[in-house]
Amino acid sequence: MIELLGATKRFGAKCAVDRLDLEVRPGELFAFLGPNGAGKTTSIKMICGLLSPSAGEARVGGRPSSSPEARRLVGYVPDQPYLYDKLTGREFLRFVVEMHDIESRRGERRILELIDTFEMGDFIDELCESYSQGMKQRVVFASALVHDPRALVVDEPLVGLDPRSARIVKDLFVSQARAGCAVLMSTHLLSIAEELADRIGIVDHGRMLAVGGLAELRERMQHEGPLEDLFLKLTSDSRPGTRAAANGVAP
Amino acid sequence: MNLAVDAPPVTPVTPINPDRTARALRRLRWRLTVNTVRAVLHGSRLRLSMILGCSLVFWVGLFVLFLGGFEFIGLNDEFFHSIFEYLFSMFFLSILVMLFFSSGIITYSGLFQSREGTYLLSMPATPDRIFAYKFFEGVGLSSWGFFLLGSPLMVAYGLTIHAPALFYAMFLIYLAMFVLLAGSLGSIAAILVANVFPRRQRSVLALAVIVTIGVGAALGSRLWKTPGEALSADWLGNLQNRLAFCQHPLWPSRWMSAGLLAAARGQWQRTGYYLMVLSAHAALAYLAAAAVARDLMYRGYNLIQGGRTSRRRWGLQALDDVFHRVFFFLPRPIRLLLLKDLRTFRRDPAQWSQFFIFFGLLAFYFLNIPRLGYAVQSPTWRNLVSFLNLAVTALILSTFTSRFIFPLLSLEGRNFWVLGLLPVERSQILWGKFAFSVGISLGATLALVFLSDLMLDMSPLMIALHLAMVVVLCTGLSGISVGLGARLPNLRETDPSRIAVGFGGTLNLLVSLVFIFAVVTALALPCHLYYLGVENPESSRMALSHAGFRFWLGAAMAMGLLIGAAGTILPLRIGIKAFERMEF
Ligand SMILES: Nc1ncnc2c1ncn2[C@@H]1O[C@H](COP(=O)(O)OP(=O)(O)O)[C@@H](O)[C@H]1O
Ligand SMILES: [Mg+2]
Repeated sequence: MIELLGATKRFGAKCAVDRLDLEVRPGELFAFLGPNGAGKTTSIKMICGLLSPSAGEARVGGRPSSSPEARRLVGYVPDQPYLYDKLTGREFLRFVVEMHDIESRRGERRILELIDTFEMGDFIDELCESYSQGMKQRVVFASALVHDPRALVVDEPLVGLDPRSARIVKDLFVSQARAGCAVLMSTHLLSIAEELADRIGIVDHGRMLAVGGLAELRERMQHEGPLEDLFLKLTSDSRPGTRAAANGVAP
Repeated sequence: MNLAVDAPPVTPVTPINPDRTARALRRLRWRLTVNTVRAVLHGSRLRLSMILGCSLVFWVGLFVLFLGGFEFIGLNDEFFHSIFEYLFSMFFLSILVMLFFSSGIITYSGLFQSREGTYLLSMPATPDRIFAYKFFEGVGLSSWGFFLLGSPLMVAYGLTIHAPALFYAMFLIYLAMFVLLAGSLGSIAAILVANVFPRRQRSVLALAVIVTIGVGAALGSRLWKTPGEALSADWLGNLQNRLAFCQHPLWPSRWMSAGLLAAARGQWQRTGYYLMVLSAHAALAYLAAAAVARDLMYRGYNLIQGGRTSRRRWGLQALDDVFHRVFFFLPRPIRLLLLKDLRTFRRDPAQWSQFFIFFGLLAFYFLNIPRLGYAVQSPTWRNLVSFLNLAVTALILSTFTSRFIFPLLSLEGRNFWVLGLLPVERSQILWGKFAFSVGISLGATLALVFLSDLMLDMSPLMIALHLAMVVVLCTGLSGISVGLGARLPNLRETDPSRIAVGFGGTLNLLVSLVFIFAVVTALALPCHLYYLGVENPESSRMALSHAGFRFWLGAAMAMGLLIGAAGTILPLRIGIKAFERMEF
């Protein structure tokens, strides 16, 4: 459903994403794991059609991701979501429904469902400018789901969510995936990837270092123990200057 | 792994109806407007009435000015009438240029640099719909200023020549078309700039503005130097010749002025003809803009997003050391805060380029004072001009403090977790900003006023007086901007220019203007009266004798100092109080 084929993105001389291949199939929950500045957000923006690859291709549902058809398939939660300050949460959701050309009665029903799921009833009719970070985040999640996307792309979820909201969101990822949606989430938090993901892709410096299920990754790296060690091993290997330190030369 | 071989089949998507997205965007605009208006109405009445009051005063002032002007020259003279056609063309031509720039800038930042633009691009709307949505927002904003400027002119004109009522309706229709045309051209330019010079938009803009100002200044000086006795038939003929360029039949401003003047005289056929010409071109321009947006907007967005530099910045450690040594008497955290502001200033070309352009232009003008012949004029004149120059310098400084100093604290507020945890008292932060503002502004303004006085050949006493006034004005303006900035912060906005044009910024500018006016008139008045007396000792009874001058000058200086102290300390105290109580 979501594909990157040799996708590369250069910002001037800097190569933020370097020949990245990635596929997320329907019904799969894929965690895109990497340290800060690894190129996760850039890759995700290419998938959502916000950036066009300098080389290679980004496709959703077999279509180029910048086409309006592809955008209809995607539900996107950016790392810094945007909400209209002067709209209420409900008005914002209605706007998204209309933008996706959903029949209004069906849309209205869907909005009610989502208000229920995300427990937003208390504040949904206030202006967004008065929301806290977590409330905003929940409205944005709901807006990414109103049109029943076939691919859900989430950049750094759970930032700013309290434990309860985080639980809701995590459950939601799983249920979306089980319902046949391709879910791609980027995160720098190992625990989330470990807890939720069917497959994990570890990126650093714009390159995919390893892809696979948790067990598969461990086996391939001949590595026992927590994901954290594996992650540190992989990402420090990709940094030439720090190799010595990671191999235990340093005290 | 080669994914291309077993590429999954294309997922079917029901096509989206573009009219639906257009409608969704229109509704969005409508709801945003309704909610904003409602919030304004329910919010601070004071703010609303101040804004309305200011607009009204502005409108009535312009109206009276135009009405008086028209009655003075007498519009019924057929000869003047033709001159008016030229003047109106000129007026609309300058408006055309301003609308072109303002809508271009608004479109550029709205589409390519705002978070809303990014958000909308991730929605399944086609780029031309998104463009339309942002375009009408920008055009609405810029036409509002045009309306405020153009409507008093038109109403005054209509009243003087007893125009039919339909003329006023025609004005609105013409205005809409004119704005549409200018806005479309500006947007096309903005999108093209994004595509061709994605990393150079500021340089392109600066270059365009400088060229425009240059051309405008050249034209202005040509008009100014029209030979002949002012308002004589000869002079008017010459003026007409020199204005002929704006009567070119291809200028949209020409269509506007010809059509409106025809409407004012009840020549409906001509009115209709020019309306058709104007609206056809406006529609075509808008269509072209939408097509350009459809094909190039997405590309431009990508180029701009990729264009953010990740250039490494050098801290200039040596400079910092010098700074620490020179300002050893300030507490170290304050010095560090000052350094931070200085560094931000240095790295923000918008700030210092504006600073240098304005003060550079002033310096250029001051340097040319001898050539303008003021120096050979009477002392009264030179005195008047010297105070005027001082006032202009202060006015420019006040726009600068309103634009850059006032938003400083609002911007800090967003990062208050840094400042709040520093081992300094909050009041010291404010004093730091104050010192920063005074320090930056004092050097430039002192030099400028000194230059102006030298060129005008003023006496040392007057130079000293003026320099002292500059100090008072700088501290006062800095005090006002820092104090009000702390009292009326806008913690929501991240864009300093938007903070500056908000309520607090506007109030700050108004207070600054009143302050400058008070200080300058307090001192200019006795000096002026004294020089009047020196020039023609017997004629004027208002003039001051030497002894009287000494007394009144002393009184005025005391007064100026008092106003200066009040203007510095009062706002700062208000600001410090508010800042200490502020919760972030
Ligand atoms: N618009 C941009 N212009 C220039 N460099 C960028 C831009 N966006 C991201 N980068 C750079 O690309 C790299 C990857 O960034 P990003 O994808 O945001 O990382 P992540 O989301 O994994 O933390 C970073 O080094 C960042 O500095
Ligand atoms: Mg990121």
